[in-house]
Amino acid sequence: MMDMLYNLGLGFAVALTLKNVFFCFVGCLIGTLVGVLPGVGPVATISILLPVTLALDPTGALIMLAGIYYGAQYGGSTTAILVNIPGEATAVVTAIDGHEMAKRGQAGLALGLAAIGSFIAGTFATIVIAALGVPMTKLGLLFGPAEYFSLMVMGLVFAVVLAHGSLTKAVAMILVGVLLSCVGADMETGRERMTFGLHMLTDGIEFVVLAMGVFGFGEIFKNLADPEKRDLVKGSIGRLWPSLRDLRENMGAILRGTGIGAVLGVLPGNGAILGPFASYAMEKRLSKRPQDFGTGVSQAVAGPESANNAGAQTSFIPLMTLGLPPNAVMALMVGAMMIQGIVPGPQVIERNPELFWGLIASMWIGNLMLVIINLPLIGLWVKLLQVPYRLLFPAIVAFCCIGLFSISNEPAQVMMAGAMGLVGFALWKLQFEAAPLALGFVLGRLLEEKLRQALIISDGSMTTFVTSPLSAFLLAIGAVALLVAVLPSIRKSRDDVFKDA
Amino acid sequence: MLRFNRRAALALGVALLSTAGLPALAQDYPSKPVTLVVSYAAGGGTDAIARVFASRLEKALNGRVIVENRPGAAANIGTEVVASAEPDGYTLLVGNQGPMAVNPHIFNLKHDPAEALDPIAMIADASLVVVVGPRLPVKSLAELLEKAKAGELVYGSAGNASASHVATLLLGQTAGIELKHVPYKGAGPAVNDLVGGHIDFMVTTIPSVIGLVGDGTLTALAVTGSERFAELPDVPTVAESGLPTYTASAWYGLLGPKGLPQGVRDKLASATAETLADPEFIAKLKNDGGVPSTLSGQAFADFMASERARWGEVVKAADIKVE
Repeated sequence: MMDMLYNLGLGFAVALTLKNVFFCFVGCLIGTLVGVLPGVGPVATISILLPVTLALDPTGALIMLAGIYYGAQYGGSTTAILVNIPGEATAVVTAIDGHEMAKRGQAGLALGLAAIGSFIAGTFATIVIAALGVPMTKLGLLFGPAEYFSLMVMGLVFAVVLAHGSLTKAVAMILVGVLLSCVGADMETGRERMTFGLHMLTDGIEFVVLAMGVFGFGEIFKNLADPEKRDLVKGSIGRLWPSLRDLRENMGAILRGTGIGAVLGVLPGNGAILGPFASYAMEKRLSKRPQDFGTGVSQAVAGPESANNAGAQTSFIPLMTLGLPPNAVMALMVGAMMIQGIVPGPQVIERNPELFWGLIASMWIGNLMLVIINLPLIGLWVKLLQVPYRLLFPAIVAFCCIGLFSISNEPAQVMMAGAMGLVGFALWKLQFEAAPLALGFVLGRLLEEKLRQALIISDGSMTTFVTSPLSAFLLAIGAVALLVAVLPSIRKSRDDVFKDA
Repeated sequence: MLRFNRRAALALGVALLSTAGLPALAQDYPSKPVTLVVSYAAGGGTDAIARVFASRLEKALNGRVIVENRPGAAANIGTEVVASAEPDGYTLLVGNQGPMAVNPHIFNLKHDPAEALDPIAMIADASLVVVVGPRLPVKSLAELLEKAKAGELVYGSAGNASASHVATLLLGQTAGIELKHVPYKGAGPAVNDLVGGHIDFMVTTIPSVIGLVGDGTLTALAVTGSERFAELPDVPTVAESGLPTYTASAWYGLLGPKGLPQGVRDKLASATAETLADPEFIAKLKNDGGVPSTLSGQAFADFMASERARWGEVVKAADIKVE
């Protein structure tokens, strides 16, 4: 405990120098902008800025790059809430109820709760990294392919509760998502699957393309098809800031989201993306009115947003304690460390304590800055909604296209997102929900990868999933959740059958 | 009449510009930014080496050099982009072992890299390293091979047909042992499972594990290159460890579309040579696990041809093929 306080003291001494505060601010500001602009993600931004960091000292450089990363997670929710475009996988969940809230004139409340939730999550995650960083690394290492697969199965089961309509349709959407995730070259044999000989499909579908197409473009088609409803937001804007009562009502969701997000963020293979989904599922389970989820429930924004931010921060743990990057942004951070001559790995804590603890302390300062940058901006964002839609939507489309093109410098991605937009529109017309599709897509890729890896290691024996205690435990939770979810609907449909008869 | 005149004038102008442009090309080169195509996403090993190289090459060429990531289709998209670009020296490729020497054997490529590309100079050679984790507590490569004979070992790779995969295939074929391959998406997740004890060993790039080796979390048994690596002086080569014929390395070179003007080629070759001799560049390259190369022009082309023949046999023996 004393050690931790001493170390945090060292960290704050490093992070609070004028120079590092400045880098932190620049990082957070760039991150917020990048996050708000649909499609322009932190990966592209950090890779562009990487050469610039050469001129900085290592601590300042990493503080800035980290700021861009969590700043972008933060800014991403703004676009998700205002215009229903999740720029990152983690913002999909925020968009579900967040955008509904915005349509009902509660955009200020949604943005405010997202900001405050993120700040609380960021504070908590900073403490977690400082106190438990090293032991939590071990948690991540427990998850081999078999355990990871079981975690994904559990995640898919929980995905079912994401839906607020028909259970059958939700399951169908999850399966379509899993199917779409199989497009592309087979990881083991390299054979192409479902690519129809198209070059742009050999590497599979990018998540950003799917999300921006189905959600973003789909939403635009929807609004253009239905001019009556599209300017709903115009009427009432409501309060800009959450009241104390709002905060009290959402505090539980924020704390639970923070806990879930912090734990999942440590997992390898970008476990952080699971956080918001898990938090949403949990809030829906705990809610007295689960049927309202999807129509603009504030807990469904506060919880997942907190989980998102906590996960974004704890995903630094494997990077800092082992030098293992859990996602593309962290891989770039490894690059930035190596450019500076720092070997990422377990020795960083001992050899570069000022870097390690300075970075951790800067995260808390960064979160504080994000609140300071973003709370006054809420008013501005909400005003944005009053811009006539005929002016707003071409701007959104233009930004999306720039972002999509920047993924791999290919026009093919933009076209593919356009096609996905039509799919999104069709789904809306047919009253299918897109969120389970997105989750199925995200989980599907990992599901297949881990299943096959686990089976290669076990020589094709399925028992590997139950002989590992952790894996068996996760599968058991999934099975129980499935029973709980399916039983009432079976009963109900049986009631219906009897009614008809 | 007016329309005809305008068109004629335009055509004349274009013709003048293009003829005027040609002879001046070599002296003026580069008169606009040079694009260096990397066939992988930002953040990977090839990207890191390309960016360090590009920032130093700018000085040598006295002009802007921009790294453009064109990832996709097992790095074949980048090759294709450069193969079908104008051979004017403004679109160049950082080619490496996979797409240049391995992919021609396993994909039906639109352009054969040996025919569609002009090798300018090799940039760097990066040795790989054989590492074991807690699941396989051995201290030498000989011990690892011993264990592998007793029961099948599981190794991870950065992906199907990656340098890490084919180098391990060659290891197995040279030693005459059967190994079980678990492909991952990139070195990161594979190293994670190695540290967690879910797989036995890996042959991977030095930067991906050097921190973990220094800490004792992983044990480096051997480096795959023909010489030991400066940062790991106590780790022998595979050849020193009982497989004298074995070498494998990831290498990186500068290539352009076929038909580069001789003047531009020469300028690029000398700028590359200048870059590779810079101690600061060499130091940065070492961080990325590489040593600068001395192969240029024909010597680089010959090296690629021999690599291609060698890895062709390895993947054929392992029966890797994509239809």
